Amino acid sequence: MKIQILEKNDISMRLLIEGTNAPLMNTLRRIILSEVPTMAVDDVVILENSSALQDEFLAHRIGLVPLKTDLDTYNLPENCECKSEFGCNLCRVSLVLDVEAEDHTIVVRSSDFKSENPTVIPVSNEISLVKLAPEQKIRLEAYARLGKGKDHARWQSVSMCTYKYKPIISVNTELCNSCGECVEACSRNIITKTGKKIEIRNLENCTLCQDCVKACQETPKAVKSSWDETSFIFAIESTGALTSERILREALNILDGKLVEFLKQLPVKKT
Amino acid sequence: MIIPIRCFTCGKLIGDKWEYFSRRVKEGEDAGKVLDDLGLDRYCCRRMLLSHVEIIDEIIRFYETGKQQQMRPT
Ligand SMILES: [Zn+2]
Ligand SMILES: [Zn+2]
Repeated sequence: MKIQILEKNDISMRLLIEGTNAPLMNTLRRIILSEVPTMAVDDVVILENSSALQDEFLAHRIGLVPLKTDLDTYNLPENCECKSEFGCNLCRVSLVLDVEAEDHTIVVRSSDFKSENPTVIPVSNEISLVKLAPEQKIRLEAYARLGKGKDHARWQSVSMCTYKYKPIISVNTELCNSCGECVEACSRNIITKTGKKIEIRNLENCTLCQDCVKACQETPKAVKSSWDETSFIFAIESTGALTSERILREALNILDGKLVEFLKQLPVKKT
Repeated sequence: MIIPIRCFTCGKLIGDKWEYFSRRVKEGEDAGKVLDDLGLDRYCCRRMLLSHVEIIDEIIRFYETGKQQQMRPT
């Protein structure tokens, strides 16, 4: 397997992975979507809420706020040694929101949260939670826990995780009359014409729409579009809770754990 | 009511982008360009902002005027 990084930053990552197969890519994708844990609020104690939004509405919004996650310090509640329903310092973080609008209408933002642990905070300070008219007040305590995407979307670590075959587009120079129809048809600007020559660039942006093949007037077609079934372009876009690299590493660890577990089960079945 | 925290379809954070978006669009900029600048490149996230109406501003006005009437001497 050969991996080439096409693009990488804290939020998103694009990899070209060669010499593998679709089942493995799909396993990775499904683990990233549903098993990589992140922090999110799952319990809200509302002490006072005189805003225009009902308690449930407000709690739902707070739950969806992505929190920066520290996977090394915190445990999943089901794996925590405390075994308590309420949680302990290693499986729960409390965030307090106490805002009152005095004589102006204000916007309550995610930056108004006071977290017990200053590293577990919303990924953005600008998320508007609710608006308060003069004299309206909100006082609540929110409890964040680690969780998995398969339990609720608020724990999903990514907003996008996809893979596609590596596209192959070839132009047969003997059949091509350089009419430029395929250049016009390509919505991703992959095919370009320089002088009399049809050239292909940024092939990883191709969506394999086949428009270039349909546009070609020659018979047989001068443009050929296909894909490599052993090469993939794998893309991740994090919600900001974890870095894109950490998500991929965590997913591989989880897959590893699953395979070890599977191997352990095998001899038992044989006897 | 108020801008959703995340995109309904993909889950991308959009709750922190509305104010910037609506300000620039009110100033007469092309909405598509502002969305590109915000890094919203999927159409699911783009429609979240494009089709949003901030109704909470209308509702809050009732509370604001109610407050002013209370303060007025009778
Ligand atoms: Zn615990
Ligand atoms: Zn979206």
